[in-house]
Amino acid sequence: MSEPSHDHHDDHGHHGSRFIQHHYDDAAHQFDSGKLGIWFFLVQEILFFSALFVAYIVFRAHHPEIFAYAHHYLDVKWGAINTAVLIVSSLTAAWAVRCAQLNQRKGLIACLSITILCALGFLGIKTIEYTHKIHEHILWGKYFDPCVASAGNHLLNKGNNCPGFRSSVTWDAKSNKAASGCLEGEFDREPEVPGIQAECKVTEVKGANRRPVEACAEEGGKSTFPCWELSANPHVCPAGPGALIIYGDHAHHGDVTVEATCEAVPATAPVGDAFAPAAKPEVEGQATFRRNPALTKHERQHLFASGPPPEHTSMFFSIYFAMTGLHGIHVLVGVFIFIWLLVRAIRGDFTPEYFGPIDYAALYWHLVDLIWIFLFPLLYLIH
Amino acid sequence: MSAAVDTTCSYLSPKASARKGILGWMLTLDHKRIGMMYLFGILFALLLGGAFALLVRAELWTPGETIVGKDWYNKFFTLHGAVMVFLVIIPGIPAALGNMVLPIQLGAPDVAFPKLNLASFYLWCLGAILLLVSVVSGGLDTGWTFYTPYSLQTKTAVIPAVMGAFVLGFSSIFTGLNFLVTVHKFRPKQMGWFQMPLNLWALYSTALMQVLATPVLGITLLLLFVERFMHIGVFDPNMGGDPVLFQHFFWFYSHPAVYIMIVPAMGVVSELMTTFSRKPIFGYRFIAYSSVSLALLSFLVWGHHMFVSGQSKLANMVFSALTFSVGIPSAIKVFNWTSTLYKGDIRLETPMLYALSFLIMFTIGGLTGIFLAILSIDVQLHDTYFVVAHFHYVMMGSTLIAFIGGLHYWWPKMSGKMYPDRISKVAAIGVFIGFNLTFLPQFVMGSRGMPRRYWDYDPEFKIFHQLSTVGAFLLGLSLFAVVVYLIWSLKYGKVAPKNPWGGTTLEWEAPTPPTVFNFPEPPEIPEIYNYDDFVDAPDGGVMRKPGGTSAAGSSGAH
Repeated sequence: MSEPSHDHHDDHGHHGSRFIQHHYDDAAHQFDSGKLGIWFFLVQEILFFSALFVAYIVFRAHHPEIFAYAHHYLDVKWGAINTAVLIVSSLTAAWAVRCAQLNQRKGLIACLSITILCALGFLGIKTIEYTHKIHEHILWGKYFDPCVASAGNHLLNKGNNCPGFRSSVTWDAKSNKAASGCLEGEFDREPEVPGIQAECKVTEVKGANRRPVEACAEEGGKSTFPCWELSANPHVCPAGPGALIIYGDHAHHGDVTVEATCEAVPATAPVGDAFAPAAKPEVEGQATFRRNPALTKHERQHLFASGPPPEHTSMFFSIYFAMTGLHGIHVLVGVFIFIWLLVRAIRGDFTPEYFGPIDYAALYWHLVDLIWIFLFPLLYLIH
Repeated sequence: MSAAVDTTCSYLSPKASARKGILGWMLTLDHKRIGMMYLFGILFALLLGGAFALLVRAELWTPGETIVGKDWYNKFFTLHGAVMVFLVIIPGIPAALGNMVLPIQLGAPDVAFPKLNLASFYLWCLGAILLLVSVVSGGLDTGWTFYTPYSLQTKTAVIPAVMGAFVLGFSSIFTGLNFLVTVHKFRPKQMGWFQMPLNLWALYSTALMQVLATPVLGITLLLLFVERFMHIGVFDPNMGGDPVLFQHFFWFYSHPAVYIMIVPAMGVVSELMTTFSRKPIFGYRFIAYSSVSLALLSFLVWGHHMFVSGQSKLANMVFSALTFSVGIPSAIKVFNWTSTLYKGDIRLETPMLYALSFLIMFTIGGLTGIFLAILSIDVQLHDTYFVVAHFHYVMMGSTLIAFIGGLHYWWPKMSGKMYPDRISKVAAIGVFIGFNLTFLPQFVMGSRGMPRRYWDYDPEFKIFHQLSTVGAFLLGLSLFAVVVYLIWSLKYGKVAPKNPWGGTTLEWEAPTPPTVFNFPEPPEIPEIYNYDDFVDAPDGGVMRKPGGTSAAGSSGAH
């Protein structure tokens, strides 16, 4: 659009800006054509995003519980700040158009600069949010694994020990006021029966729970408060062998020492092995848990409140990353466009007769803004 | 640099570009040069896709293995489909013929955004390269539809193919966007909407679909790409995703895509019918409106591809009913073309042979489409050769035939040379016979239960498969001959007159070949589809009687 000379150019007597291309009748013709073109392009953009919105609708309609649960992982504060940032940038983008129309070069440069800064600010905040989620394994699809943790805290003092393999314990503690993050521990003793392949069923936990462990009652195979509940969902907390994962109280109070008694339940007895299922060695041990500092208070509260995540919670984050990612790419493209416009504005290319590119870029920017205006409530503000 | 351009010379002349040699073509912004580059790219892709088709047919000569094993067979039909759909049929008429003709029919110097036009050509090239990469890096065996979850599991080169189709989608979007703006903003004041040639109505409707439907394909393929790369899970049932959602998304684009293919073909055929019948087009407004209504209806019928994919009964019934309604605008067109022929002074020039082939084959393709829209019958015929035959009658027998017909029609204008007359007629008849021999037996096979995409078959189908294979080779040979003699004619063909057919639309008022900006000075808008005042021209063509009744602003609609 900008090159002054190309195949078509000749000394055709266009008056006015040198950026009016030859095959247009005049500046107005070029401007109108560009404007119609950008509108069609925006329609195209809306349809490009539409499939993601449809996917959102379909999954939310089918699995409202996932959305109700998972949105707590998003931080409304950052989302709200970003919304404000984008709205300001939309204002300055529109203002830039006005400045160009009025031939106010300084104002134009200022407006374009602010728009770029806001766009970069938006991306910066998005980076903070993404980084945090990557740390916490709050990701899409099979990478959603908030319990394999993060932040360098394999927080475990290997003070406990449980023969056999995996034990994941979920804390259901409605009435406790404190929240906790996702913790894991490992029992420290070697399996007492060598070669045993078993899941560890925690039969008794002391210390982490102020309630007497004896109050633990099994109902229909699921233990109820205040008992530790075995999480049967390895998708959620696939900790390593012998790990004990606790959602629950105390985590934010600093280190917590747990005493647990474990009963090895043979999960898969090797075929032909002489292992006798009757042997249920009990072991006792200790694990010290440190709270996971990378989880926000919000997330701790949430995890505390809602127990284990519903199945396929990862789908929310697939949608979240697809939508915000694609939107982020559009913001990034916008940054480059506005930098290019800024260079041209400093060069003095734009006049009240020729300001089409600013107008088109501003329209594009408003659409990017508008899409965010939809994304923010759909993803962050669910109730 | 710019001083070297001579805008009064033919666009093909080296003087028409400021740059020398090949760069003058590769960096050109002239819609005609871009159209020509598209044309040769598309013809190359046509030969490639055709070669895959012949490999498929050769393999099916006998039950069991004939030339290759089943894995290669799966790749052959997939690549045939992907190349033909994305590289040939979708861009064929709009990007190649449309690019050449649309601005001239408007009396405009170029499309609205020449740089975007060149960019879409290079996107087409990039997409073609990516598809070729998938061909050489192990092929692709998902079918051109990339259905999940298989496309998430196969080890073949899904990623380059998906990227290719994504890029080609944007090539198509940009072409459509360009045409929409050109028709809106470059239409001369004297040319109202209803003085536009029907070809422009068709291209406009097509462009509308390109802009509105293709982005959905874009995002779908992007999701598939991300799914394969990062396991996002949206289409993966193991992670709670929905594979049928992919089919919905895919057909939301790909059904309109079928109309992106056929509607411009209808535009071309409308021009051919009236020109070679020497009679005003019958029911101009009906044809124009039916193009637009086909464009709109195309967005409402995607579910008919999914009657057996577990859609609800209600959805099936609604989509079935909506699909029937597509028959109305289609039948209006067929009726109008036939009525145009009635008592016309029919000239059986080569383009007209293709137009008449189109009329027959489109009718067959359209009517069998109605069969398939009927739920109970579709359950029977779904994924059989009946479907294969049906859509080949529409995509190939109609769209490609119209493309070849239109190519012959405008070839003299665009290349300045005539194609060899007799060979071209023989080839046209060869195409007609070859095509029907290929696909009529497939209707029979399909209705008797031969499933599509199968490498092996019961011996009872052997005769049909062999007839089909013979037809396919005849068809391939004829089309190959077309490509060869068209290229031959560039150098050895007779010099073409300005208006060899007595066409009434604006492109026939332009010099042959057109000059750089198409018209040395803004043309007078002729009365289109009025054949009363033509006399023989000294250059061997036909011309309007000097001082005839062609008057600007009078209506083309009769």
